[in-house]
Amino acid sequence: MTWLSWRQQRTETIVAAALLALLAVVFVPEGIHIADYFVSHHVARCVDSQTQACSLVIGNFALSAGTLGALFDSGWLNLVPGLIGVALAVPLLLDLENGTIRLAWTQSVTRRRWLASKLGFAVGTVLLVAGCLTLLLTWYQRPFAQVYGRWDHFDFEWIVPFGYALFALGLALAIGVLLRRSAAALVVAFGIYVVGRIFVESWLRKRFIAPVSATLRSQNPNLHNAWVISEQPSNRAGHPFNGTPGVFQHCAKVGAKGFKILDPRCMERHGAGFTHVVYQPASRFWEFQGIETALFGGVALLLIAFAAWRVLASD
Amino acid sequence: MTAALETQALGRRYGSQWALQGCTLEIPRGAVTALVGPNGAGKTTLLRLAVGLTRPSAGSVRVFGLDPREQAAEALPRVGFLAQEHPLYGGFSIEEMLRVGRELNPGWDDEAAHARIAELDLPLEKKVRTLSGGQRAQVALTIALAKRPELLLLDEPVASLDPLARREFMQSILEAVAERELTVVLSSHILADLERVCDHLVILATGRTQLVGSIDEIVAEHRLLTGPRDAAEDVTRMHDIVRESHADRQTTLLVKANGHIYDSRWTVHELDLEEIVLAYLGQDAARRREAVLS
Repeated sequence: MTWLSWRQQRTETIVAAALLALLAVVFVPEGIHIADYFVSHHVARCVDSQTQACSLVIGNFALSAGTLGALFDSGWLNLVPGLIGVALAVPLLLDLENGTIRLAWTQSVTRRRWLASKLGFAVGTVLLVAGCLTLLLTWYQRPFAQVYGRWDHFDFEWIVPFGYALFALGLALAIGVLLRRSAAALVVAFGIYVVGRIFVESWLRKRFIAPVSATLRSQNPNLHNAWVISEQPSNRAGHPFNGTPGVFQHCAKVGAKGFKILDPRCMERHGAGFTHVVYQPASRFWEFQGIETALFGGVALLLIAFAAWRVLASD
Repeated sequence: MTAALETQALGRRYGSQWALQGCTLEIPRGAVTALVGPNGAGKTTLLRLAVGLTRPSAGSVRVFGLDPREQAAEALPRVGFLAQEHPLYGGFSIEEMLRVGRELNPGWDDEAAHARIAELDLPLEKKVRTLSGGQRAQVALTIALAKRPELLLLDEPVASLDPLARREFMQSILEAVAERELTVVLSSHILADLERVCDHLVILATGRTQLVGSIDEIVAEHRLLTGPRDAAEDVTRMHDIVRESHADRQTTLLVKANGHIYDSRWTVHELDLEEIVLAYLGQDAARRREAVLS
């Protein structure tokens, strides 16, 4: 049974491995270059420093990410766990579509054993590939994480990719057993995967735990790599500033070194001078990773269980 | 000894439609049985119930006394099944298909499987999807046989084959039966395909069993009677009428006789199997027409 499960998903495994290899070819040399740059330019030393020299170092470091940084920012990499999950559902769906399930079920192994082996292989491969993916991207991002914190690349690092890939697998299996047409099921599953991801990322995630609100006396408060959900000028009580931009001109004065700065007391008199921020502190990163993985992984397990039940009960 | 296949009031419903209903039959060990009936009579459903691919809606089915669904672990190794479309993994080579059989069946006879493929002149590395229909059927049969089942169920095994492949396939089955104790059930809507190899017959029509028995007994029991119309009633009382037709004064009856027919008013003709089967299937068609009209 083990051999059959492997043989049936060989093509899909090779495709997933090729995708990983392609990403590795792109990311590994760049990652080495960035890690070297981080060390040789003493970027670590500038992480919490506000000096001008340091902001130049940090700025140059940010530029060193180049096109790969743009790749991260565009979000296209979010599709990779989905592709992997959906692809590994194909062997089982083809069995259903082509009727070869009747061949397997009339040999000497029971349905339960057959299904356990097939699902075990699919889930195992998905987790393995997702593991390689997250290892590669987490390693690549490490120097950046030291400067900017981890929230920026929440979706690509540590444990959430496991949840995403399983979610895509579960969707494809569940929709596949309902539609019984593999190609259509894969397209629908991938669509739902994308919509689900966007929904969680843009609406649900910031609500996992009630965010922290604070009113800080600064134009540019340092939140220690927090995930800032909203940030707006306000008065001391945190009420949003609703004056006109004229206030800024009015309160501007020439500072010690000839730079124009805003007079804080003047700003405060006009209902400004503070920043009201709503954010998730950096310390919650792991908690959020856990919640998001449990959410996608949990839904994935339900979907896989549903698919398994439908397959076992079918006749 | 328990029967190879036994059903009791077996039925299967899809929605409100019964695909098979009230099917009671017993197939003894060692028999080669033709399962005959028109399309849609429930032949496929019956075979699928017997191998546990389908769950009964009513009644029960046993293979060697085992429930094929609930006792699958014990029953499955003893039953071979060949679905009508001969499903095989298209991307696999023949060698790999044989490996599938080996991996999934503890009683697998690898030597016999390879010998059969060699005999068929099929290269082991040939991909399944490049095979002709006849070759596919033979590979599928090889797998079903090498499993060494005690009961082999074949659903319309030759329907998609050309006449030559048909003959070769049937020959293979005869050889397998000759080699060892094997009970076979073959379904077809064409009796001629099966008559040469079978010794038992099951006629299935409108989802019900119409006739079960050994072919010799069936031929011996059925008679065509011609005689005066007014004498028909006496026959009806004694024997089962399968089909009747009346002319002005003369009546023709096809009967399943319960004992000898002594009545001298009737001329008694013997029938061959095909005529008997057609009479049963004709009866079924007439009943269906009635059902539509009423």
